[in-house]
Amino acid sequence: MKKILNGNEAFAMGALSAGVNFFAGYPITPSTDVYEFFMKEHDKYGVKFISATSEISAINLCFGASVAGGRALTATSGCGFSLMQEAISYMASDFVPCVILNVMREGAGLGDINRSQGDIFQMTKGGGNGDYHSIVLSCSSVRDCIDMPEIAFMLAEKYRTPVIVTYDSDIAHIKENVEIKEIKTHNIDSNFALVGSKDNPKRIQNIYYHDKNYDETLKNKYEMIEKNEMRYRSYKTDDADIVFVAISICERICMEAVNVLRSMGIKAGIITPITLYPFPKVAFNNLKEDTKIVVVELNILKQLRMDVEYFTKFKYKYYSINHMSKCPTVKEIVEYVKEI
Amino acid sequence: MYDMLCKGCGHRTAMSIIDRIIKEYGIKEKTIVFLDVACCSLLMDDIEYDDVMCPHGRVLDVSRGYKMLRKDKVVISYMGDGAAYAIGIEEMIHSARENFDIFAIVINNGLYSMTGGQFAPTFTGIDRKNIDSDKSELNFDKVLKIENLLKSFNINYLARCALTDKENIDFSYECIKKQMDIYMRKGGFCLTELISPCPTNYKMTIKENIDLIDENIKQVYKIGEFIVK
Ligand code: SF4
Repeated sequence: MKKILNGNEAFAMGALSAGVNFFAGYPITPSTDVYEFFMKEHDKYGVKFISATSEISAINLCFGASVAGGRALTATSGCGFSLMQEAISYMASDFVPCVILNVMREGAGLGDINRSQGDIFQMTKGGGNGDYHSIVLSCSSVRDCIDMPEIAFMLAEKYRTPVIVTYDSDIAHIKENVEIKEIKTHNIDSNFALVGSKDNPKRIQNIYYHDKNYDETLKNKYEMIEKNEMRYRSYKTDDADIVFVAISICERICMEAVNVLRSMGIKAGIITPITLYPFPKVAFNNLKEDTKIVVVELNILKQLRMDVEYFTKFKYKYYSINHMSKCPTVKEIVEYVKEI
Repeated sequence: MYDMLCKGCGHRTAMSIIDRIIKEYGIKEKTIVFLDVACCSLLMDDIEYDDVMCPHGRVLDVSRGYKMLRKDKVVISYMGDGAAYAIGIEEMIHSARENFDIFAIVINNGLYSMTGGQFAPTFTGIDRKNIDSDKSELNFDKVLKIENLLKSFNINYLARCALTDKENIDFSYECIKKQMDIYMRKGGFCLTELISPCPTNYKMTIKENIDLIDENIKQVYKIGEFIVK
């Protein structure tokens, strides 16, 4: 069945198809539609919903639901996401799965509700205290928003780790006609659920306390994620002289810019990291040596470009089109490329 | 048992009472304990039930998230006064406001014990330096008394006991047993606070610490059942 949905509604529908059992949230623009969806629809789909009294509370409620074996989800933005970092760090160190949607909003601190891609540092480098990463998945369309929750829960459970799904407010509010998927129910009696023990009680604690090979365990966890889970899309990169790197709304704009540039005889292509962590460095393997890489992003500090440069070993020429919140136009991108 | 704790620590007495009640009810296999950090966490490897170490002050939320998906389990939320009434006071208020199914035990020694005995919002001001002096100087009004805070909510059980002599420990057992009874029968928010010795940080012998509670601290904190439904 097809339905016209915005990205946030699609994400909520996608979460139902991924068997979400539990949603806890605190409303914050531009993620609020997800909260509203579960507020209105949870009974119909047998999802436990709780209107938390803060984002700290929301993520810790999810922590508990995850320990119970449920597929737990929260959705937030901006400072709300910052408030969740302690519990995300706990879940990473306790090997507890959870999916967190962070619809990015503009600026540091309160910032504003406009579109932005300013949380890339925070999401990919940890965000909370200590030695961990969360897996970070990025969406560029309403279709992606439907599909991503299933991937997110799969990865969260495979590695028993928090997974963050992210996009900007354009993708959150864009409406597209998409095929929706079948709703699934997840059985909470999964093998890691805590249900009480006769003997040998189970513990959910920082695995550091008990794992004698903790260093190895931690290294292995992230090595496996980095080895197995790189995801990306690429378009017309084989012969490209110019390769854009862009996520979320910027992917959509660059895609059009690629076609316009190609029609002008300029060989352009695009790489879109779907996993922001682990960064999909393999996507760059077959580029020509003199390729010019143009990172198009919505933040001032060139957060995405920093990873692109690092993971491609600084061997290309790099350029940036980056604004805090204003979307670059196809015309602006084409003009910029003509100059370089 | 509970060897990580200091000698004379109230946590040991509290856990022994909980152990006894869980045994009497025969509910070991369906009990999960959610522990706060600091001195509570010293129990984490010794308790006989599945346990979860929660972020500081977040025990009630993690417990709630769990209980929402597993109604049939006995979920014990075990925390100190710092977690319950300082960093975690918000979730304490809202769990009580909603009369959510909670079985909470709060160990109140007035101090942040794990870090060396800094004052919590529950500290009475009475310690070894001024134990024999005039208490009129001390500002007891500033102490957080949970019964005053929660009395406007429709909760199912609220009591305060002291882990001092036999009589008081027996009373603690009676209260926690009644709390369990209400929790098992009809759920709702149920909390027992236990005024607890921490000889290490009060820098006293166990006997002196217990006397301090019985003779002084209990004048500030009323012992008894406040709400029973
Ligand atoms: S410091 Fe105090 S509360 Fe902590 S274990 Fe020792 S006696 Fe108990």
